[in-house]
Amino acid sequence: MRPMRWLPLVLAVALVAGGCGGGDDDDDTSTDDTSTDDTSTDDTSTDGTAASGDDDAAEVDPSLCPVDALTDADKPVEIEYWHAMTRANEEELIRLTDEFNASQSDVRVTLSASPSYPENLTRYTAGLSTDELPDLYQGEETNLQLLIDSQSIVPAAACIAAADYDTSGIIEGVLTRYTVEGIQYAMPFNVSNPILYYNKTAFTAAGLDPEAPPTTLEEVRETSQAIVDSGVATHGISFKTDAWFTEQWMAKAGEEYVNNGNGRDARATAVAFDNETGLALYTWLSDMEKDGLLVSTGTGDLEHYVAIPNNESAMTIDSSAALGTIFQLFDQGQYANVDLGAAPMPGPASADGGVLVGGASNYVVNRSSDAEQAAAWKFAEFLADEQTQSEWAAATGYIPIREASTTISPLVERWVEQPELKVAYDQLLAGADNLATAGPVLGPAGARGEGMRGAVIDAIAAMFAEGLPPEDALAQATEGSNEAIEDYNDRVG
Amino acid sequence: MSRRVREALLGYALVLPALLVFGTFIFYPFVRTAWLGLFEQPLFGGDSTWVGLDQYLDEWRSDDFRNSLFVTVKFAVFTVPVGISLGVLLAVVGHQRLRGIGVYRTIFSSTVATSIAVASVLFFTLFNQQLGVLTKLLNREGETPVLDDPRLAFIAVCGVTIWQNLGLSFIVISAGLQAVPDELLEAARVDGAGAFRRFFRVTMPLLSPTLLFAVVVGSILAFQAFAQVDLLTEGGPGDRTNVLTYAIKTTALGNPPDQGAAAAYAMALFAITLLLTVVQLRFLERRVTYER
Amino acid sequence: MSGRRWYRTAGRYATLTVLALMFVFPLYMMVVNSLLPPEQLLKKANFWVSPGDALWGGYSTAWNDGHIGEYLGNSVVVTTLIVAGQVVTAVLAAYAFAFLDFPLKRTLFVVFLTTMMIPFEVVFFVNLDTITDFGDLPLVGDYVGFDTYGGLALPFLATGFGAFLVRQAFLSLPRDLRDAAALDGYGHFRFLTRVAIPLARPSIAALGLFAFFGAWNQYLWPLVASTEDHRTVQVGLGFVSEGSVDQVNVAFAALVLASIPLFVLLIVFQKQLVRGLTAGAVKG
Repeated sequence: MRPMRWLPLVLAVALVAGGCGGGDDDDDTSTDDTSTDDTSTDDTSTDGTAASGDDDAAEVDPSLCPVDALTDADKPVEIEYWHAMTRANEEELIRLTDEFNASQSDVRVTLSASPSYPENLTRYTAGLSTDELPDLYQGEETNLQLLIDSQSIVPAAACIAAADYDTSGIIEGVLTRYTVEGIQYAMPFNVSNPILYYNKTAFTAAGLDPEAPPTTLEEVRETSQAIVDSGVATHGISFKTDAWFTEQWMAKAGEEYVNNGNGRDARATAVAFDNETGLALYTWLSDMEKDGLLVSTGTGDLEHYVAIPNNESAMTIDSSAALGTIFQLFDQGQYANVDLGAAPMPGPASADGGVLVGGASNYVVNRSSDAEQAAAWKFAEFLADEQTQSEWAAATGYIPIREASTTISPLVERWVEQPELKVAYDQLLAGADNLATAGPVLGPAGARGEGMRGAVIDAIAAMFAEGLPPEDALAQATEGSNEAIEDYNDRVG
Repeated sequence: MSRRVREALLGYALVLPALLVFGTFIFYPFVRTAWLGLFEQPLFGGDSTWVGLDQYLDEWRSDDFRNSLFVTVKFAVFTVPVGISLGVLLAVVGHQRLRGIGVYRTIFSSTVATSIAVASVLFFTLFNQQLGVLTKLLNREGETPVLDDPRLAFIAVCGVTIWQNLGLSFIVISAGLQAVPDELLEAARVDGAGAFRRFFRVTMPLLSPTLLFAVVVGSILAFQAFAQVDLLTEGGPGDRTNVLTYAIKTTALGNPPDQGAAAAYAMALFAITLLLTVVQLRFLERRVTYER
Repeated sequence: MSGRRWYRTAGRYATLTVLALMFVFPLYMMVVNSLLPPEQLLKKANFWVSPGDALWGGYSTAWNDGHIGEYLGNSVVVTTLIVAGQVVTAVLAAYAFAFLDFPLKRTLFVVFLTTMMIPFEVVFFVNLDTITDFGDLPLVGDYVGFDTYGGLALPFLATGFGAFLVRQAFLSLPRDLRDAAALDGYGHFRFLTRVAIPLARPSIAALGLFAFFGAWNQYLWPLVASTEDHRTVQVGLGFVSEGSVDQVNVAFAALVLASIPLFVLLIVFQKQLVRGLTAGAVKG
């Protein structure tokens, strides 16, 4: 697979799944704005913490981004966009791209899909030596430091300055997520965060209130116990072995995940999750599993969802990005036992905490010709615009990156019709605004089998399958992550 | 031009096409790989730093390397003997004179028509926690999926490998069995030797050259196994199935890539293969001599 | 048939059948699952699909949207190139080693054998760079670079094993034949094509068979050296199955489609196949 793999394969309705849907999206940011409360946020008013796009954009040389090159180029300029959208999300991306191509004659975008974010990245890093690179690249937000270090991308800030592009309508936290040491590197596109998916039918059958899903980990445990006791499902919650959730929980607890200000004050040199909060999380997971309340569904992308119609669980946690796909999957009437609900991710609640911005963003590749870079930027602008974001969020479950998108059609109507789609947006805006919620930045963020996430995944898997005590699992995750960070930092020189 | 010279030129010309391929895709990259190991590569290109043998030694001393080596050897030690034993069993059972035995022989050969990729994808799905038949049959419902379970994933990878190789083992060993003269077995039977005795005293000794061959070739192939790991476990969980070939691939083409470190793994794989190939060549030579 | 023999025969068939199940069961499940509607698969234990319920849509989805058709086509092209290349280079080199005299012949032959000691897994990542560089060559770059049929086939157009196998066959030809041919005024070319190749056909066929299986089943190289445009079926299967939990019938259908060519070959050519596959192991 492994390592397995590039381009698309999309089986019509959907096949290949997962990557995005399932989950590797990740983390991050958070909300900066949001000073007040959710819905009301108007970005302009607040200035986030860590870094705000506009001021800093000044620091970067606008000539790095040749936005004017399009004018003199032979039209249309053909560009390739490498993305990792699958299923419902890919369908919508294709539609938007067709719309963009039809709307103007300067730029012609060709999509090229990878089955998951990690595979998209592997394809990209392989391309650095083979020169098979796209003009615009969709990178999971954990790719940030790696892409900066690769020196193959045009900082978005340069394009923003060169094009005199106004980012003030974009949610501040989303911009902050992609800003390191004052420079915004990527143009936001698809933002998500994890939510709770739960089966209302099972809740009702177990005597639980289907409109009051659990909000804390203790409540998840109690709810799971009630479900198991009632015999409605064999376990309370199905859990995908993924490192993203512990990152989110730490952020919700208001704790930094790696040192040096989550890697934003200086390059991170070690993880910071080996503390009481981390131990409490690992212990909770371990106990849930041991007590038969949690079923571990491994690293598969859809198994934790499928466990719900299979009556192996009544809840699961994963990215809001999968909402479109999952509702499409479960809403066709073939699973009579499922009435799916969505709620904010249960977890530690801290006034200093909040969920991280997950999902991905777009990077203009500097190995392309000037005209192609300009064209790529133009498409990145299109994907971030108010109307596009409204349509995108309405069709997928991603969070619109602009507040204004929530006030126009089709998203307004869509949220009324399917309120679940709004959960992640509200959750994002409800969080605090600090380094912890800005999310970790580090080179070897990794994925299954590599880097920090690989170490965390292995530790959790060992805890579930082999009964490794949580403190040992935490130590193992810490050690593995730190080794990866040390190796990377040595080589980055 | 003399006849000798012309003959020599023709000889070189005929050998040349193959030599070009070898030079370009075997010898050059081999030397280059060994060379790359002497340099530490910065991330994402740029100038490499000469470190001599340090990188080799560091890698070979690392826990990751030792784990990969251990897993690889364990993989060969598990799959080869079990696979060949099953092959012998199938060959012996399929050697009987019975009506319809041809159908069984075809079935026993059938995995030749699959590939390790087909077998891996097939079992990957059969092992699926939520809808795999094997999850049900193995009574693993509600447990960590087999391929995500550090205790079971390796065994599963071995099992799939053995299954896929069965057809070939059957065919090869059956052919060896054909060479055992029936008269000998008959004579042993007349002497009152039971089935087991006949098998161990007559069949096995005559079969042993074939088995030796199968062991050597099987071991070489086992050390080069890659697809099943890539498709079934991606080296996980916890590196329990991270064989050398997979480690080479993920290191050389990882995020970020590290060809220098990959070279150290690659050279270790080479050393093992060299050893096994020398054994194999000796063996081949002997067979050929017999034949002539 | 006496009672005792009857028992024994039944026992034999029982043993055979139990062993056969080991092969048949996974393959049978592959077919059954390819026909089941995805939601039925959830129950995990569907061992049967009634013809009326069979859902054939998985096959068309796998073929079209899963690109199995294209992948099979790519495999056919790459495999054909490799088999042809290996046979031609082996026959030529073997002829030189068997029938011609030239300085360094022994050394060169050893060089050929040495290639067997270097597994492809050791050198593939440098080869990837090489193929990528080939893409920049004038004229031929588009045919031999990264993600091209040529790039997928080139590293495998010759093997030491092939030359070795054919050389052995040539050497086993009676010396008189050579002399007789020379008397008839046969040059090297005519001797090769009219006498040596026809007589060495079993070995050449065996080589072709090895080359075919090796090429068709390749995984690592096409995985790293191609993208979807030239992806072969072995690699493509992984992409079809990845994350297809709700479309498992499609993944299984892809497996069936990918296996059909070889199963047909196995059934039609079983005898030849067995003979060829064992050529390296057990001669005579």
